[in-house]
Amino acid sequence: MLFDSYRRKEDGVVRFYDLHSKRTRTLLILIYLLCIGIVIASLFPLVWVFLASFKDIKEFRRSATILPSNFNFSTYVKTWNDLKFGKFYINSFISVIGSVVSAVIFNGLIAYVLGIIKPKGHKIVFGLVMWSLLIPATTSVVALFVNINRIGLNQSFLPLWLSFGANAFYVILLKQFFESLPQELIEAARLDGCSYLKTFARVVLPLSKSIVMVVVIFAINAAWSDFLLPYLVLNGSGKETVMVRLFMFRTSNATDVEILRAVAFSIIPPIILFTVFQKQITEGAAAGAIKG
Amino acid sequence: MAETKHNPANKTRRTGFKKRDLTGWFIMLPTILLFAFFVWEPLIESIRLSLYTAKGIRLQEFVGLQNYAKVLKHPDFLAAFSNTFVYILWSIIIGFFVPIVLAILITETTFFKSFFRVGIYFPNVMPGLAMVLMWGFFFRPGNTGVLNIILEKIGIAPQIWLTNPKWTIPLIVAVMTWKGAGSTAFIYMAGITNINPELYEAATIDGAGILERMRYITIPNIFALGKTLLILQIIAVFQIIYEPLVMTNGGPNNASISIMQLVYNYAFRDFNYPMAAALSVMMSIVLIILSGMYFKFTASKED
Repeated sequence: MLFDSYRRKEDGVVRFYDLHSKRTRTLLILIYLLCIGIVIASLFPLVWVFLASFKDIKEFRRSATILPSNFNFSTYVKTWNDLKFGKFYINSFISVIGSVVSAVIFNGLIAYVLGIIKPKGHKIVFGLVMWSLLIPATTSVVALFVNINRIGLNQSFLPLWLSFGANAFYVILLKQFFESLPQELIEAARLDGCSYLKTFARVVLPLSKSIVMVVVIFAINAAWSDFLLPYLVLNGSGKETVMVRLFMFRTSNATDVEILRAVAFSIIPPIILFTVFQKQITEGAAAGAIKG
Repeated sequence: MAETKHNPANKTRRTGFKKRDLTGWFIMLPTILLFAFFVWEPLIESIRLSLYTAKGIRLQEFVGLQNYAKVLKHPDFLAAFSNTFVYILWSIIIGFFVPIVLAILITETTFFKSFFRVGIYFPNVMPGLAMVLMWGFFFRPGNTGVLNIILEKIGIAPQIWLTNPKWTIPLIVAVMTWKGAGSTAFIYMAGITNINPELYEAATIDGAGILERMRYITIPNIFALGKTLLILQIIAVFQIIYEPLVMTNGGPNNASISIMQLVYNYAFRDFNYPMAAALSVMMSIVLIILSGMYFKFTASKED
């Protein structure tokens, strides 16, 4: 029975003992209906993308319906090939993998130093990193783009990968976790003659799998969705990512159905990622939000 | 580790630069360089760039604050500047309250709770650019726009949506809210769950009904959280760029152009990097003040 589960409810305003009143029970049912409505509003647009992208262009222009008249997968394959989406997918994968590796290694190393080794002056460095949270990334994109051009790193994945190595939010997440690790284990590894770097790779990282996983998932999603810097750096290089390709629709004469299918292609990987890792993502979001 | 004053080795270590310090700095040096290149230096470079004229990316001559004057006199600036306030106003009306309502509603559920949570968070992990393109199809004027199809089913005449200058900004804010409300609601949910249940019990014993408990316990307890989240939201709205850039290109007739979009236009349409940098610097100053306020609020909350 629905209301029985309220015996254990400890948060929010409604308690089990409120449920003897008919008004409260009606209110609760109303709340459930509203929540279902909200979830439909959240998910319907995404479902619609997949439904509508099965229409062909004539049907899309003429018929005012939500559902397509038939589900034909071959049109999907045709658009995939016409737009050469395989290439953009591969480019995106290259960009994502490099970004994730860079995010874990560089932010992990500085978090390890700031949280565990604590050399002289570590507080100043941490202050500077915290201060970076104040600086909005979008306002420095022009200067960053100019700098990247000056040192000739445009048209390359390298600046995109490395930009993930300087993320104050990841540093703070990792540092807090490293500080909570049992310090004796780290000291023991040091006494056994492990160098600092070896201790990081053999002891600290394996003990921190859960938080590293959160950083990896966030970095995958951020790198996949990122488009302004990738567009500025990669445009015209043949290394365009999926998001850069989507952005180029702004000024191209592709048909509606092609754009819609491209949107569908671009959201499939995040949907898979979220479905598989929803627990880590929702928990990480709540944890990160409170600290950040 | 035992440290005694009698140990001479320890004494020199404390004053000098230990091997541990050296190794530590050595390990974090690459990351510091990355922070310098991607975060700190561009800020200084923006200021430098904004004081010169330039041909492409090459600086030419020092002109002082002339670029700033040019930006302020530019006809699009006034539109972008006043639009920013309209964006903020609408984001308070729509974007601020929706996550609070979502959090309050979902907290009261027990069945399907995780389904509701995952459902509202889903749009948040979708790529922003793809979502903006998608909503373009929803807001299409004429009878094949998705929202017009839905309106027709319930017998309402088709609307022109984004092409109506009065509706452009509210609709863009609605899309932003659709995408972002889930993650903000998560923070409120955590805040509501952290409220001491004894408070509710004491209120109930005093005869408070459900709405009174909401009014006198839930709302005051998430008030501080709301204040800090509001500042974060304003910071985010200041930086809005790709929604107007892709959905309306700033139109109709500059009705939705944002400041960051103006920066984009100066830099990557007109290739006038100094003017873009000047506007970026002005933006950064406002944002740093707002962020400073945010940190002050969160710091005083800890007390």
